[in-house]
Amino acid sequence: MLSLKNISTTHRKRPLCNLSAELESGKIYTILGRTGAGKTELLRIVMGLDDIADGHLELDGQNLADRPVRLRQMSMVYQQFINYPHLTVVQNVAFPLRRQGFSRADAHDRAMAALALVGLAGFEHRMPPELSGGQQQRVAIARAIVKKARILLMDEPLANLDYKLREKLREEFPRLLAENADGIILYSTTEPAEAMQLGHEMIVMHEGCILAMGAPADIFENPATVEVAKLVSDPPVSICHGEIANGQLMLAGTALPEGAGLVLKGDGPIQVGIRPDALSIGGDMPAKVVLAEFSGSDTIVHLSLEFGAAVMLLEGIHEFKTDQSIQVSLDTSTLLLFSAEGKNITERRSNG
Amino acid sequence: MAEITLRNLGHSYLPGPKSEDDYALKPVDLVWEDGKTYALLGPSGCGKTTMLNIISGLLHPSDGQLLFDGQDVTHKGTSERNIAQVFQFPVIYTTKSVRRNLAFPLECRKWDPKKIAARVAEVSEMLDLDDILDMPARQLSADQKQLISLGRGLVRDDVSAVLLDEPLTVIDPQMKFALRRKLRQINRHTGTTMILVTHDQSEAMSFADEVVVMKDGRVQQSGRPEQLFERPENTFVGYFIGSPPINLFDVDVQHDNLHCPALALTGLRRGSFEEGALKIGVRPEHIRVTEPKGTGATAMVEACENLGIEQILSLRAANGELFKVKSRLRQKIAVGRPLAVSVAEKDVLVFQDGKLV
Amino acid sequence: MGRTYHIIKYLCLLVWTAFVVFPFLWALSTSFKDANAVTSGARYLPWVEFEPSVQGWTSLFASGSQGINIVTPFLNSASVTLLASIVSLGLGTLAAYGLSRYSYKVGFVKNSDITFFFISQRIMPPIVLAIPFFLMLKEIQALDTIFGLVIVYVALLLPIAVWVMTDFFASIPKELDEMAMIDGCTPIGAFFRVVLPNSTAGLVVAGMFCLIFGWNDFFFAFILTFTETQLLPVAIVSLNSSVTPWWSLSAFALISVTPLALIAIVVERFMSRGSLAGAFR
Repeated sequence: MLSLKNISTTHRKRPLCNLSAELESGKIYTILGRTGAGKTELLRIVMGLDDIADGHLELDGQNLADRPVRLRQMSMVYQQFINYPHLTVVQNVAFPLRRQGFSRADAHDRAMAALALVGLAGFEHRMPPELSGGQQQRVAIARAIVKKARILLMDEPLANLDYKLREKLREEFPRLLAENADGIILYSTTEPAEAMQLGHEMIVMHEGCILAMGAPADIFENPATVEVAKLVSDPPVSICHGEIANGQLMLAGTALPEGAGLVLKGDGPIQVGIRPDALSIGGDMPAKVVLAEFSGSDTIVHLSLEFGAAVMLLEGIHEFKTDQSIQVSLDTSTLLLFSAEGKNITERRSNG
Repeated sequence: MAEITLRNLGHSYLPGPKSEDDYALKPVDLVWEDGKTYALLGPSGCGKTTMLNIISGLLHPSDGQLLFDGQDVTHKGTSERNIAQVFQFPVIYTTKSVRRNLAFPLECRKWDPKKIAARVAEVSEMLDLDDILDMPARQLSADQKQLISLGRGLVRDDVSAVLLDEPLTVIDPQMKFALRRKLRQINRHTGTTMILVTHDQSEAMSFADEVVVMKDGRVQQSGRPEQLFERPENTFVGYFIGSPPINLFDVDVQHDNLHCPALALTGLRRGSFEEGALKIGVRPEHIRVTEPKGTGATAMVEACENLGIEQILSLRAANGELFKVKSRLRQKIAVGRPLAVSVAEKDVLVFQDGKLV
Repeated sequence: MGRTYHIIKYLCLLVWTAFVVFPFLWALSTSFKDANAVTSGARYLPWVEFEPSVQGWTSLFASGSQGINIVTPFLNSASVTLLASIVSLGLGTLAAYGLSRYSYKVGFVKNSDITFFFISQRIMPPIVLAIPFFLMLKEIQALDTIFGLVIVYVALLLPIAVWVMTDFFASIPKELDEMAMIDGCTPIGAFFRVVLPNSTAGLVVAGMFCLIFGWNDFFFAFILTFTETQLLPVAIVSLNSSVTPWWSLSAFALISVTPLALIAIVVERFMSRGSLAGAFR
């Protein structure tokens, strides 16, 4: 168990504020946030590469603050492909084992097994700079998992790879990370889909703070704040301004039909989150097409509605002209309601 | 603005290329219409950057001709082509304000200051930069810097094409979405031909009117995004376009018909297939999963990944073949149970030796 | 355009080459001349314009009163330069590593100030340093000794080593040392096991600079030595008596250039083999 208790840092680039979390062994935690949200910074304090200004960091009840980096039983995969350029691939992977005191032969055998696992059998005598980016990152991953570390940290390991390589490696991750199944795995990323797909638990970070932590599906279904809702969805949730008046949800002066299963309490301005798949063609809501994009199997339509701009995600291929007027309908059952300050106030009637 | 024609255009970095293998870019004929958006898509080392460098004039091709509006520019320098280029990493003058950054190319051309001011105002309005015009460029975020790089290219009024070399790589997903939209709007607004180089299929598909898929220096297929998605000409395009990639299934030939055991499909017309390895391809999006009904094919759920709006199911067919299904079902699908799978015949593609029949 | 461009390019290179090589050719031809050939105007072609003589070369190795002792200054120069270079490179590399990886703050003094302090040693004109050096060496009775010269040369070469190596370490991502520490190395272990083996290029460049500057220094060797410990440049100049033996002097100068030329050739081979090609982009 890794515990972060009210950790703050004063790092110049991105200070962290009051982070608290309990991370259990055997789980993969994905950290989702934009560039500069403090993800790397969080990993670096766990690693001991940066100092903590305030708060406690404990591993299995023991204070980590004074333990030097090399004794923290951790391993790390960086976003840049970091390998030892002067060592061969197999020497690279054996390096941490040798430092741990394994014999030369033993370390070599384990390194070879790890290389086979990441699909680099036959590359053991090459030098890292001769390999492609994807292969270099595989070496780094092999070196990280061969240690069977208590904590495995991965800092956007796929960010510098081509799309298809990313897809392939992401697919292999569950199998590779199973090697480190007893450890705590922290995996940072900017891609919502990646965080959802890989994480047993997801930590959403923004501007140095943890905004949400929990099962990815729960966070997706029920984001705590507007910011979380925006971060976990790609294409993003559209945020519009509305109002609750007399128990009705008003958008641009028009009341939305009852029966959404939403509990509407208290009058006043609110923010409404519209998921991209909540809008569909046909209905009585007039809309103007700003732009239609085809993305793989889906069509992403940027709409201008009476109450603001919104994104509609349609399955399949649909042709639209720019500025075309269409009619859409809104599935109110997946709407998200936020207070004016951005807190989630969505309440659904059971059996709604 | 210009129509760009590639006439039997190829390039080899070796002097006196003998076989096709010596070409980094195998000779190709393409016509890119004025005012449209194009994407060059492929894995690293596929020749897309070579092609871009030839168009921008950084590289002179060893074979063929490059025409802008019918004029041969094959051996002309970059400056004579009026190309605006945006690179992977924003190239801006950090010591200057946004305004000065935008004005710089015009100042270099000795434009009249009044005309410069008017033109900068026009471009900044188009790119929504009005609020940050007087900020020092170094204070901007990555996506804003990238917009300025683009603005500096667009500010000239004689741009024949805008080349975008993986400009979205350094941008966060949420910002990417907005920037991509911005690029499309600029294209609509100015009618400038835009050519995007990328390895990201979804970026290429959503940006471009037409996508050129490349691999090993060869153009695999060029067409509208929906064509590439629905009728990939070979299995590579099927794999490279779409995520997860296209599922390929074994088939056997029975009485002039094809039979796919995994999906329990029969009666696919055999047509005039010659001898050769046959496979059928079905997009993960096109396979429907339902509760088992007694008849038809079933498959076991091996894994279910929730991506938010969509779920990706890994299914194992009765004959052991593994395939993926993308579904919008909102309820959780339990791993280890069977589901019925079905496919509409129009969504089944037949590949012979990797080529679409 | 291609052809004329190439011709012009090679013509320019040819002119430049002649410009660079000429002093060496001149020295080479002079070393085979005798007094008559030297004093009677410019002559270039041996056997045609003058009769070559090997007197200049033999005098360097002749024993007795008419011989010039070149072995002792050569060995002196070699030991001073090598010792000073090794010490400077060792200290400089460690200092540069510290400066590139850790932030120091002593009062208002920060990393950049420390780097500047090192480099500032080279900003002052040598003459300003000469007097203090002289007095200090005199105090510890190290004037006219190899030991004294090594101390002075280390002071001169260290800034170069620090400067070159700081720059070089900045090009090695700090994630590499962090990785080594994560993998179980101490900070010192990370330096020796991972950073140093990847610094060959920087070490070679810094070493070359040290050797060149050390070997070629005349000023301090001239001021801080008298008779006991003569270095090569001083020995060459001291040949310049009432009647300058230009032939011996030329031969002497050519010999003194040889070690550096050999090192340059070896390093150049080494570089073109790609051994120094940066592992980091």
